[in-house]
Amino acid sequence: MIKILLATLLLGVALQANEDASKWLRPAEVPQPKNNKMTPERIELGKLLYFDTRLSANDTISCATCHHPLSGWTDLNPAPKAVGFEGRVGPRNSPVVLNTAYQNRQFWDGRARTLEQQALGPIEADVEMNMPLTTLIPKLNKIKGYQKLFKKAYPKSKGIITKEYLAKAIASFERTVVSTIAPFDKYIMGDSNAMSKKAQAGFELFRGKALCSTCHDGFNFSDGSFHNIGLNDGELKGKELGRYNVKARAAWYGVFKTPTLRDIVKSAPYMHDGSVKSLTEATHICGNGGRFIHNVKNKSTFIMDNELSRSEISKITTFLHALEGPNMKLHIPTKFPQ
Amino acid sequence: MNTLLKTLLLSLTLALSANAADHIIDQKGKTFVPSSITVKVGDTITFKNSDAFAHNAYTDDEANEFDTGMQSSSTNKTVTVKEAGTFSIECAIHPNMLLEVTAE
Ligand code: HEC
Ligand code: HEC
Ligand SMILES: [Cu+2]
Repeated sequence: MIKILLATLLLGVALQANEDASKWLRPAEVPQPKNNKMTPERIELGKLLYFDTRLSANDTISCATCHHPLSGWTDLNPAPKAVGFEGRVGPRNSPVVLNTAYQNRQFWDGRARTLEQQALGPIEADVEMNMPLTTLIPKLNKIKGYQKLFKKAYPKSKGIITKEYLAKAIASFERTVVSTIAPFDKYIMGDSNAMSKKAQAGFELFRGKALCSTCHDGFNFSDGSFHNIGLNDGELKGKELGRYNVKARAAWYGVFKTPTLRDIVKSAPYMHDGSVKSLTEATHICGNGGRFIHNVKNKSTFIMDNELSRSEISKITTFLHALEGPNMKLHIPTKFPQ
Repeated sequence: MNTLLKTLLLSLTLALSANAADHIIDQKGKTFVPSSITVKVGDTITFKNSDAFAHNAYTDDEANEFDTGMQSSSTNKTVTVKEAGTFSIECAIHPNMLLEVTAE
């Protein structure tokens, strides 16, 4: 508490007075649903499930295959589009699982609300783990070790594993996957030497001239909003329509969720289609009007040509590097319940 | 149309609209202000937009479904509450924006 107060006081020094600077500070708690509070037992069980390849049809793929802690919580073998069951390539780039606890919509198109709702999707998807739940649930119930752990974590389950408890356990682990302290956090808490002068200039551009913080806003560097940033042109014929596929609402034509920029250096390639290789290119696209400038149906009005020079783009990418924290402390399981 | 009729019509419209209240909701700092309201069926809700960027209020509530469409900075949009119940209004661009409505 005192720390936060102190930080808020110091913030005034770091930032101009007119901005509500506290928005960049980490929220006091990770949001968690009332019916699935985090406990050590649930987290530990969820972690085992997250890394267990037996959740896939041929025992080769786990959640970590596409969301690995040593790869910035995205693909262990970086790829523009996720590679899953038997090398099948999915339609989209694997997003990071980092800080998903802070999002109130999951997936690039926001089709799931909670991590619990999200967790069962990839298990059944034929391009991901290709494992029907009607096969997986009996398979898990044959593993005595898991039955015991489910009973401990969710006493009401009596050790009988259902898809609901499976989703809850995985979500509990995911809620521990939060970003660590980056140079930016130290800077914003008042240590003005924590970021280089160049990165500080980048931050000024980021929340000023370049307009980035219109969307990449707050502690998680995303306000959870959906936009078409002009990666493709015109009517998007044969291209992905994003959130418009969830419901044909005019505002959702070709829009995707604003991703977090925490640890962003670790998770190339970028964008929903993995079409962008570097932060320089991403900054150029987002800051100078999109890959396609004209005739993009429903392009955000905040993706405009801010005429960022090469040196300004370089300042911004230097700032983006300052959002990288050390890898979180995590013991990756190698032994699984039998 | 003669003046008498005009006056009659005018007073009728005034009488009708006198019962229905208009509730002003601002969209400011990516939040609805206030974030919950109680209204009567027939009332209107007017959305202001004090932010520099667009918002898009909508609800998928079956009885009161509406979609303001893209609403740019400093413009207003008005919708009428059709049926009683509780429902939430969201912004299509910023789903963290939530307005809880109780219609009586
Ligand atoms: C074959 C690769 C693959 C596997 C395996 C996989 N995912 Fe994903 N994951 C993806 C892709 C691709 C998306 C984005 C899909 C979309 O938006 O349509 C995604 C999206 C997500 C998201 C949403 C993130 C966000 O920011 O919206 C979460 C959370 C997630 N996966 C968790 C998991 C969990 C838990 C498992 C294991 C049960 C898992 N994934 C297995 C590729 C994979
Ligand atoms: C209008 C909102 C908006 C603005 C302004 C904006 N972005 Fe983005 N940004 C997005 C969205 C949405 C995506 C994902 C687009 C997609 O995949 O189709 C994105 C993607 C990115 C990515 C790739 C992230 C990933 O994980 O794939 C980076 C990096 C990025 N933006 C940086 C910036 C920078 C730097 C600025 C300022 C120059 C900026 N953005 C301005 C909305 C915005
Ligand atoms: Cu909005």
